[in-house]
Amino acid sequence: MTGGDRGPAADGGTGPPAGGGARLAGRTALVTGAARGLGRACALALAREGADLVLLDVAGELPGVPYPLGSASQLAHTAALCREAGAAVLTRQADVRDLAALEAAADAAEERFGRIDVLVNNAGIAAPSGRPAHEITEAEWQLMIDVDLGGAWRAIRAVGGRMAAQGSGSIVNIASTAGLVGYRHFAGYVAAKHGLVGLTKAVALDYAPRKVRVNAVCPGSVRDDAAMEGRMLAEIARSLEVPVAEHEAAFVRDQPMNALVEPGDVADAVLWLASDESRRVTGSVVTVDGGFTAR
Amino acid sequence: MPPAHHTLTVSLPPTVTDTALATALAAAAELWWPGGRHPRLWSETVPAPAGSDTAARRRAAEARRPVAPGHRLRAVLLRYADGLRAGAAATDGDLVLTADGSALDARSLRLVARVLRGELAADAVTPLDGPLAPDLRLDEETRRLAAALAVTVGRYTGEPAVRVAVPVPALDRPPYALGALDGYAVLTADLSPGRTVAELLATEPVAPAGAPGPLLAPAEGAEPPALELAAGTGAGPATLPTAPDALPVPAHQVEHVRRQLLDGPPGTPLHRLDPLTASESAEQRALGTTPKAPAPLRIDEALAAQVAARPDAAALTAGAVTLSYAELNDRAEEFADGLYAHGVRPGDLVGLCLPRSADLVVAMLAVLKADAVHVPLDPEHPADRRERTARDAGVRLTVGDPAALTGHPPRPAGERRVAGAPAYVIHTSGSTGRPKGVLVPHANVTALVDAVRDDFGLCPDDTWTCFHSAAFDFSVWEIWGALLTGGRLVLVDHWTSRSPEDFHALLVRERVSVLSQTPSAFTQLAAADRTGGDLSALRLVVLGGEPLDTRPLLGWFDRHPEDRCRLVNMYGITETTVHVTAATVTRREALAGSRSVGRPLPGWSVRVLDAHGRPVPPGAPGEIHVGGAGVALGYLNRPALTAERFVPDPLDPAGRLYRSGDLGRLGPDGALEHLGRIDDQVKVRGFRIEPGEIRHVLLEDPAVSAAAVTVTGGRDGDAAAVRIDAYVVPAPGAGEDPGPVRERAARLLPAHMVPATVTVLPVLPLTANGKLDAARLPAPGTRRTPEPAAAPREAAPDGVLAAIWRDVLGVAEIGPDDDFWDLGGNSLYAIRIGTLARERGLPGIPLRQLYLTPTLGALSDALAREA
Repeated sequence: MTGGDRGPAADGGTGPPAGGGARLAGRTALVTGAARGLGRACALALAREGADLVLLDVAGELPGVPYPLGSASQLAHTAALCREAGAAVLTRQADVRDLAALEAAADAAEERFGRIDVLVNNAGIAAPSGRPAHEITEAEWQLMIDVDLGGAWRAIRAVGGRMAAQGSGSIVNIASTAGLVGYRHFAGYVAAKHGLVGLTKAVALDYAPRKVRVNAVCPGSVRDDAAMEGRMLAEIARSLEVPVAEHEAAFVRDQPMNALVEPGDVADAVLWLASDESRRVTGSVVTVDGGFTAR
Repeated sequence: MPPAHHTLTVSLPPTVTDTALATALAAAAELWWPGGRHPRLWSETVPAPAGSDTAARRRAAEARRPVAPGHRLRAVLLRYADGLRAGAAATDGDLVLTADGSALDARSLRLVARVLRGELAADAVTPLDGPLAPDLRLDEETRRLAAALAVTVGRYTGEPAVRVAVPVPALDRPPYALGALDGYAVLTADLSPGRTVAELLATEPVAPAGAPGPLLAPAEGAEPPALELAAGTGAGPATLPTAPDALPVPAHQVEHVRRQLLDGPPGTPLHRLDPLTASESAEQRALGTTPKAPAPLRIDEALAAQVAARPDAAALTAGAVTLSYAELNDRAEEFADGLYAHGVRPGDLVGLCLPRSADLVVAMLAVLKADAVHVPLDPEHPADRRERTARDAGVRLTVGDPAALTGHPPRPAGERRVAGAPAYVIHTSGSTGRPKGVLVPHANVTALVDAVRDDFGLCPDDTWTCFHSAAFDFSVWEIWGALLTGGRLVLVDHWTSRSPEDFHALLVRERVSVLSQTPSAFTQLAAADRTGGDLSALRLVVLGGEPLDTRPLLGWFDRHPEDRCRLVNMYGITETTVHVTAATVTRREALAGSRSVGRPLPGWSVRVLDAHGRPVPPGAPGEIHVGGAGVALGYLNRPALTAERFVPDPLDPAGRLYRSGDLGRLGPDGALEHLGRIDDQVKVRGFRIEPGEIRHVLLEDPAVSAAAVTVTGGRDGDAAAVRIDAYVVPAPGAGEDPGPVRERAARLLPAHMVPATVTVLPVLPLTANGKLDAARLPAPGTRRTPEPAAAPREAAPDGVLAAIWRDVLGVAEIGPDDDFWDLGGNSLYAIRIGTLARERGLPGIPLRQLYLTPTLGALSDALAREA
């Protein structure tokens, strides 16, 4: 690993060895929001375990989101890193609010790779946030719910039926500790992520007879890794109008393990849920938060 | 039960492009299965050489993949790292075809492959409809032709056995099968020594292993031999395939062998058969000398080819005026006549003091047509400097008004000198202050353009800017790069070049596709680009003239993805004809903060040598020496300096090397890292200060969009007088407080390299050439306490500490908010303070503490906490 997705602070990570393995050899995984951050970390981890990848990102600005989203250049860089790890890669520019774009991407993925085995619903936005519930505008509320909750549901609409038909598949929804507890001034985000945990459980029951598993991963505060080009933590801090370093320090203090979560820690959980090692796990929530929600 | 899927991997001829292949696939599919769901072509680049294990694994993985439900066929085109030539449309690759086993069979796949390889027309392949044809026997003609093909190929490859596929009728085919009449069986020709013609002709073709029955039902899924005969019409004999790449040997040689098989006695040993005709044998023996490389061209000769090829295409745009190639040429002819009338003769030097206008380029070309040498004199330079430069050079004439060159009688025709003759003299400022004129021949410039033409895909569709002064050799690249590749050159006037917003508007308006900039100017342009118009025509940015910091390019890539606009960093020197190396910069290099300037251009060479001219050990720094096609003739009228800088190449008696005075390091991949000027190296107590590294750390800060570092003092040996000052331009939305920037730098840099001050500027000053103008940087910012501090605290440790600061820094009054660095502190002063503190009974002060708590008050508080 080239100083990438697991920083020096990671203590006791249980991920794959640096060279990668073959836990997902021959599988095809579709990852949304793959241009950077957790999406890039997950894509790269899946590639290192032998999966081929379909990488989706909005790769452009979203009106109403106060910070730049992933770019086409970043998506291409994720693809290049995955190819170097041995994966065949298909990239598509797609907004998770656009069902037709997701269906077209799923069609292309199936035509290219024969089948889709893993769906990682990672695309999401952290802002507009930072204000009490009664100050959120109708448009801001709709945008947040539409991307963070609606986006995962639409990707499941595009891919779930195919997995059910083939009688196998694993869907991993990247939720948040905001899907388990509340955060002040983040009503829209917290509601969307709680919704995503609910969606996970319901769809898990829909698909259980067809051997398609659906689980959620709830990361705590993930460090903005330079190589992954993450900026979630920075944007949350900006929403709260506190310096990033102060925000980071506060989170570290609040976490029983006294360390931020690294992108690779989350990717390891995703790998486990994507692989057959978790074959009897469905409808569950894996929390990767250094113990933050344990108390 | 048919197998789940069939797969076939074939290599592609290098001339097949992705687009052509995709079109051929779509057209063939529509012809065979009209109205059906047609396969798409999927392209994938494997980041490893075609022969590597990685590539083999990828081919195997593609072959294993099932076909999606509802699809008949998948076509995946694999390209490889070693087949990739940037800018080239066509590369070698493998085509992996996979078919749904219930729809198609392996033979159909082979036909698809042959159609896509261009060996067979799509309409020559019959899709299955109706009953199968009756048996066809393998006739004598087919047998002889297969044997002749095997013998001929065997003579080329030296293989003892050659397999040839011969057409046989097909039997059991799946519903969408193709080519119902042309199945294949395999004739394995044993060519080992001692075998005779009769034995060869008696060889029976067999169905590939595992096939039921004798000859007529080839097994599905078996790999076909590379050599295939084409089925004849009706019951006629097979023929040689006619497609261009289907035969690895010339068809007439196969025919030559076939005649020998037919006419010769059956007992003839196979080694007597000769594919070569008598004249071919003779030619083969005569070979042994390689053709000479074409002689390099003069600039005006190379331009004449463009004028002849596209006389009416636009060549120059200046403001509202555009000249075609023919107009440019005609006007330059007229100017050349004028030069002759003014007494200019071959080999004379002609000063050009013209603004960036069409006439400047016309006059340059005219000087070359007159077989003279042009000496650009920047009209923005002071008149005295221009005059002195012209006098030193000994110019015959200085052109300041092009009107003086018009209306003269034609000059007599004469033979122009060779391409090795000088074309221009460009002056570079030396460390001694007296400019040196670098004498560059024609051939260097045409070699430069030829060296990058293919890689950069330079073509007549391109529009270039001439942004730089004619006195800066970056303009040589801009002008001749455009005109010798048939492009259009847009001249940027002085005032537009000084305004990033206006220049950006020009790029949009003129739809510029090839842009050359110094990194400093590009940083300002990139800032203007955040709010400027659409640069959709821009496809290539060449950065040169200064060291590049890649990190700030991330924002540019977000707006201009690398696959739409390529960014190339070039290292170069006037003495080696503008450029030496090129490195394509992508997000990867920017994220890694790469400082590589890449590999030498084709024809240029780079050596990193020590002071004795020996190669340094791998990865060690040394002086960059440049050899090859770009080395200039020398300095004008400076034989001693020329002999000092242009030295014989120890490895090549005919070659010369230019000693650049630059420090560099060669990576194991042959890529050069440029480490700065050797003269600029400043050492403090044995530690070298690397301004580039300091700048690099500053630029990694997300709050910083541009940075400059100055190192002053210390050259006369007083290390304590060395002072490092930094200047930063804040990133959009970042604050104006330099404090956090310096704190971050202090955490990341070794103590002797931490800047004493960080000054925030709205923009960095640039020279007329677009490089950082260090002389125009303001005095380093000070954050002195506005009012003298109320009352200097007298209690220890404050009082003692303040006294130490006063002694060491030589400042009379110091308040608790005064900052060590703002008072001129540096790392050696810090060490002295630490020493004095211990001597005077205070706790030791680690150097780092002064960075963390740089004010007297804060330091004092920190010491109190320690105690």
